[in-house]
Amino acid sequence: METVSVLPELTIEPTEIKLMSGSEALMRSLVAEKVDTIFGYPGGAIMPVYDALYDFQDQINHILVRHEQGAGHAAQGYARMQGRAGVCLVTSGPGATNLVTAIADALIDSTPLVCIVGQVGKKLLGTDAFQEADVMGVTMPITKWNYQITSADEVPEIMAKAFYIAQSGRPGPVLIDMTKSAQLELMTQPFVYERCQTIISYRPRLTPKQDQVEAAAKLINEAKRPYIFAGHGVQLAKAEEELLAFAEKTGIPVATTLLGQSTIPTNHPNYVGWLGMHGNYGPNVLTDQADVIIAIGMRFDDRVTGDASKYIRQAKVIHVEIDPAEIDKIIKAHAPIVGDAREVLKALLPLVKENDHTVWRNEFRKYDVIENENITAPELSGDTEKIKMAEVIDLLSRKTNGNAVLVTDVGQHQMMASRYYQFRQKNSLVTSGGMGTMGFALPAAFGAQVAAPDRQVVAIIGDGCFQMTLQELGTIVQNEQPVKAIILNNNFLGMVRQWQQLFHSRRYSFVELQNPDFVTIAKGFGMAGHTCNERETLSDSLDQMLAFDGPYLLEVIVEKEENVFPMVPAGASVSQIRLK
Amino acid sequence: MTTYTICIFTGNTIGLLNRITIIFTRRRINIESLTVSETERKGVSRFTIVIRHESRDEVEKIVRQIRKIVEVLAVFGYLNDEIVFNEIALFKISTPLGSKPLDVETINKLHKAWVVYWGLDYVVIEKTGNETEIFAFFEYLRQYEILEFVRSGRVAVGKTEKGLVEYLPEAEWAYYL
Repeated sequence: METVSVLPELTIEPTEIKLMSGSEALMRSLVAEKVDTIFGYPGGAIMPVYDALYDFQDQINHILVRHEQGAGHAAQGYARMQGRAGVCLVTSGPGATNLVTAIADALIDSTPLVCIVGQVGKKLLGTDAFQEADVMGVTMPITKWNYQITSADEVPEIMAKAFYIAQSGRPGPVLIDMTKSAQLELMTQPFVYERCQTIISYRPRLTPKQDQVEAAAKLINEAKRPYIFAGHGVQLAKAEEELLAFAEKTGIPVATTLLGQSTIPTNHPNYVGWLGMHGNYGPNVLTDQADVIIAIGMRFDDRVTGDASKYIRQAKVIHVEIDPAEIDKIIKAHAPIVGDAREVLKALLPLVKENDHTVWRNEFRKYDVIENENITAPELSGDTEKIKMAEVIDLLSRKTNGNAVLVTDVGQHQMMASRYYQFRQKNSLVTSGGMGTMGFALPAAFGAQVAAPDRQVVAIIGDGCFQMTLQELGTIVQNEQPVKAIILNNNFLGMVRQWQQLFHSRRYSFVELQNPDFVTIAKGFGMAGHTCNERETLSDSLDQMLAFDGPYLLEVIVEKEENVFPMVPAGASVSQIRLK
Repeated sequence: MTTYTICIFTGNTIGLLNRITIIFTRRRINIESLTVSETERKGVSRFTIVIRHESRDEVEKIVRQIRKIVEVLAVFGYLNDEIVFNEIALFKISTPLGSKPLDVETINKLHKAWVVYWGLDYVVIEKTGNETEIFAFFEYLRQYEILEFVRSGRVAVGKTEKGLVEYLPEAEWAYYL
């Protein structure tokens, strides 16, 4: 058979109206959504979009990452600081699959992302073409919504939907798979962009139902030992002020989840600590003594509840959630309130009585004393040979007056950062909670710094985590972002080692690392840094890092085998929390 | 184990079936039957999914997860006594020369089934009914040689006027309607 290659005919539009390509329409859609920053990596199937982007450089700042996963996490860091969707742009096949971890992380941590992914041409779909992967199929379970654009005309409407879905209700990642043919072809109609306001089949409830609010207010007013759990939803709804007003009026103690940290200043009299496996002692133990739990924008993750069948069986639960599927999912709610945390708190405030609950709040202080005697004070005493992680965080907290944005990775250092940093400002912790993605911190810190140029961003990273995404040092340096990265180096995959020590009789199975010289690596990327190995130089080291004009990497050699306590062992109830 | 019928009303988009079924597979729930067709409203599809489950709580959670899908307009979970439901079955029966003659009267009058096609050496019988009726008919037909047997999966409509089910907790039904 004869093979004929047909070149596409050049068609010159005779009409006066300039019809634009799908790629240009995509750019104009991003501009219409006021997107000024995108994180991406080019490749074959997304090249027409990159070609269009070339003409939009004055309006859109494209940041070239070193790996698509880095683009995803950077966009997450950006979204978490900005409170609106982070945008990623990657190519088909491996470009898209490399993004998968970040998408899954964004879904479970309710982070708005719009991921634009190239795809092979429409005619090649399903033919196992070069760099073709079924990205729609792959990402269906881990996106809030995904859609394949196969014609240029679809672009404005679909992009408007993508941003609306990603950012409204319970935020989440949206993936747009755009065929190369749709990027190249011309629209058949003039480009008109209308921002999406509503979708018939998707109507997140913001304003709560009044009867739900009244039922909850009644429970709160009758409660003797009420207890607020503030989750990530408070931050997502920008409800920090409303939470404070509510807590101050009612006098109810407030604990946060891991992602809820920094929604209330740690020195606020109502703040009692944070919940969960490595959270504070009192907040966990007293969970079992409260009579009414007011859970706001949190989802009773198993790291918070321990054994859910033994969890808060004595208390009535008021569950404030924007996502109705979260209600009764893990814990039965006696008084569910579906709505945006901010709207709900605003509606509740006039209905609740003034109170102070001093006696009940003081219960927490008793446990603080025990925790301090058994854990905090010894951790900070400085009587060990090597520096302890807690000391580094504690000192950092004091030197930054609790005003830095902490971006943490996953493991012991993450828990230590949460335990010892005294958050004073809202929106100050970016971490991978639900997915527990190692390698999250470095790119996310970069994204956070881009989103919040006026804030001091400090990434706290373990030596294991750092090696998962360290190539993003290149992105940080190229973009001159003054990210400070602290590697807490114990030469171990510390959290796994801790579990192996406690639950697998010290059978250390593949947790010790032979690490490279991190400072040399940083220098190779053009980033300044140094190693701190002595307690005497720790303070100066931190000063040097914080004062440095530009990105800086500080490696702190910490004690090899320290453990994070308190700890609720997996499968135990929260009141069985261990102090050692 | 209780049988639940989940009716899902959706827009008509590619891949939606996958989005719905992964909710079941992720929770290791086997789908007993599944039918999809367009409804009286253009562009609105209706999925009827039958599952068996021992925990109503879990089924309610699944219903809420399905409702989270952006294209899903509404979801209803039903118990058997809350719906009118049926399915259709086709039986291909071998009827070579000299085989036992079919008792068409029993087939028609007792089982309310009909021969819909006569082949050279076989017939095709159509039977509409619920699972129990179809299996009773299947048992009856065992005396003949069944060459093929196929069921359509359940279709169902709710007995309530609005199609709204009271046994599911209040939560947020209203704003979908």
